[in-house]
Amino acid sequence: MKRLFTAFVVMAVLCVASTALAEKIVKLGYSLPLTGSHAQYGEVFRNSALMQLESFNKSGKLKGAKVEIDFQDSKSDPKEAINIARKFNDDDEVVGVLGDFTSTVSMAAGRVYAQAGMTQLSQTSSHPDFCKISNCQFRNITTQAFEGPFVVKWATGLGYKKFAIIAIQNDWGISAATNFANALKKDGGEVTSLEYFNPGNRDFRAILTKVMRDKPEALYLCMMYEGGALLLQQKHQLGIDVTSFGTSSLYSPKLIELAGPSADGLYLSTTFMPDSPEPHVVAFVKGYVKRYGSFPNMFAAQAYDAVGIMLAAIAKVGPDVTRKTLRDAVAATKDYPGVTGSTSFDPETREPVKGLARMQVSNGAFQLVN
Amino acid sequence: MTDNKLVSHSVRANLLVLGLLALVLGVVPGVLSFLGKSYYMQVANSALIYCVVAASMNLITGTAGLMCLGHAAFFGIGAYTAALLNTHFGLPFLLTLPLGGVAAGLAGVLVALPTMRLISIYFAVATLGVGEIVHVTLLNWVSLTRGPMGMQIYEPITIFGHQFTGLLSIYYVIAVLACVSIYLLWRMNHSYFGNALRSVREDDQCAEAMGISVVKLKIQAFAASTFFTGLAGAVLAHSAGYISPDSFQFSESILILTMVVVGGLGSLPGSILGALLLILLPEVARGLGDMRNVAVGVVMFLSILLLPKGIFGEVSAIEVARKLFNSAWDGRNAVGWK
Repeated sequence: MKRLFTAFVVMAVLCVASTALAEKIVKLGYSLPLTGSHAQYGEVFRNSALMQLESFNKSGKLKGAKVEIDFQDSKSDPKEAINIARKFNDDDEVVGVLGDFTSTVSMAAGRVYAQAGMTQLSQTSSHPDFCKISNCQFRNITTQAFEGPFVVKWATGLGYKKFAIIAIQNDWGISAATNFANALKKDGGEVTSLEYFNPGNRDFRAILTKVMRDKPEALYLCMMYEGGALLLQQKHQLGIDVTSFGTSSLYSPKLIELAGPSADGLYLSTTFMPDSPEPHVVAFVKGYVKRYGSFPNMFAAQAYDAVGIMLAAIAKVGPDVTRKTLRDAVAATKDYPGVTGSTSFDPETREPVKGLARMQVSNGAFQLVN
Repeated sequence: MTDNKLVSHSVRANLLVLGLLALVLGVVPGVLSFLGKSYYMQVANSALIYCVVAASMNLITGTAGLMCLGHAAFFGIGAYTAALLNTHFGLPFLLTLPLGGVAAGLAGVLVALPTMRLISIYFAVATLGVGEIVHVTLLNWVSLTRGPMGMQIYEPITIFGHQFTGLLSIYYVIAVLACVSIYLLWRMNHSYFGNALRSVREDDQCAEAMGISVVKLKIQAFAASTFFTGLAGAVLAHSAGYISPDSFQFSESILILTMVVVGGLGSLPGSILGALLLILLPEVARGLGDMRNVAVGVVMFLSILLLPKGIFGEVSAIEVARKLFNSAWDGRNAVGWK
């Protein structure tokens, strides 16, 4: 009996001590596709987020509190993302949210976040209207309104003026194609044809044959790397010898793995270069490879920085961060030194401002070009 | 003695109906608003919408035995009709709601006319094609539907000048609509009409010989079913405020079909239970993380394996209907409706 009593006393003391010592928890939500057709992206986001979170909590930048991330699977389904958004809004501990992956899903949930004044920072949503939902929406990806004109300037500098555009039929693809086309026309170039294909399409031969009839000087490919790899292969098989430019979404080691030598010569711009000599990029790539056994792609870097921006904003406010103060701190982000380049948010539009790097595939590797 | 029995039966039947109404209109919203979690409210709203969709699909796939693999198309037509009429022409909810249903119903008749001679797997594949046509049209007709960008509906649900902005008030709009739709579907299921559909399902030639116009009957059932699905779509568009073609693709049709099958083919209460199960379970299982969808799959697999007739089979549903509609039926009076 006495022993039992002592045990109780010890336990009670331990409990009191642990609550006294326990650090405050600052909670973030992350809505992302961990299952379903986009699961491979969600997986990469979670990997990066966990890496960034761990190093942040170790760094001691936020004294007296620890940050936690609650990952919720949206299956890339707007219906589920809205449920998740309600869930995060209800949880008073959640001060900010990351995600989702596609613009469609992010925007469906965005309206719900706006109602609660919850900061929503997406690593990838590039729909032109995403940031217009409310002053709570941010993204860590340059939109096609920025990338399109950048590639046009680069291409016309190299002497390519007549383009055929092949784009995926979704919100992102439409905005990529139209932004590029408009910038090209402004620069005095010509769009010989513009073809959309439905997501999941695997046979590009008909489209390629069709666009080549108009004799373009180069192709502009607005698609993800899976489609890009197939297209480049089929272009090679058809013996079409014309230069290709691509959107930054094609940047992935998998592109070269899948397309093989067919990818050689492809020009693309990107914000993230895994072979950059900058020490923080080297550290990220090394850390990622060590932890997950694969090279980080652009999406991994994008998420790594999105989480980093959020955490830096929390550190700036301190452990008593609220939804309101976090939003203001994120909005004030200036020159965040991320692996996707230094990032600031435009005070008016909340659009990110970043530098882009130019790359070309040669001999089965991405090489920086000037 | 029979009279006593009659009274007690009818009292019991009325109590059941009243109890269900109290549950849907009183207890559920009461408890949910007491908990104060908008998340639960949101899940309840989508669960109710899917109850209507599953119950309406049950009429053709369950009662009439026509396996439809494109039901999400009619759901989408209802949603897009409501959204387009509201954003382009500024029509109020009270008009877009029935028009969404009518548009889906008309589409249903158009699909039914050429496909009525098909049965079993051939009908399934034909409707699968229709589902794909509608999805691809919604996706690619960018100038009308904004394609993959989806459509936003900025105006809240407004009825006679009253704006339903809170989740609780939206719940009541959906709940009233669900109760009315399900009641009408229930009456159709258990009437001469429903019995005729069942006879067509079991043996259409025999039914024809008995004087039933099989083709006409099937078209009527299709029109009614797609009409209610369209209503549900219109409510979805207005309550969610955002729709995109992704929500109306093949996987959605399969989800609805699964609700009907897991619940019990041909049983309306079964399809409602199936819809509740398949909407609530993935949310309840959120705690399981990555294993969530595996758990949902296991539950579905086991429920079909152990309850092949469904959670609430057709026989039980007919029994309930007999008790509700005709108190005299207690099995001892050998012949039918007294």
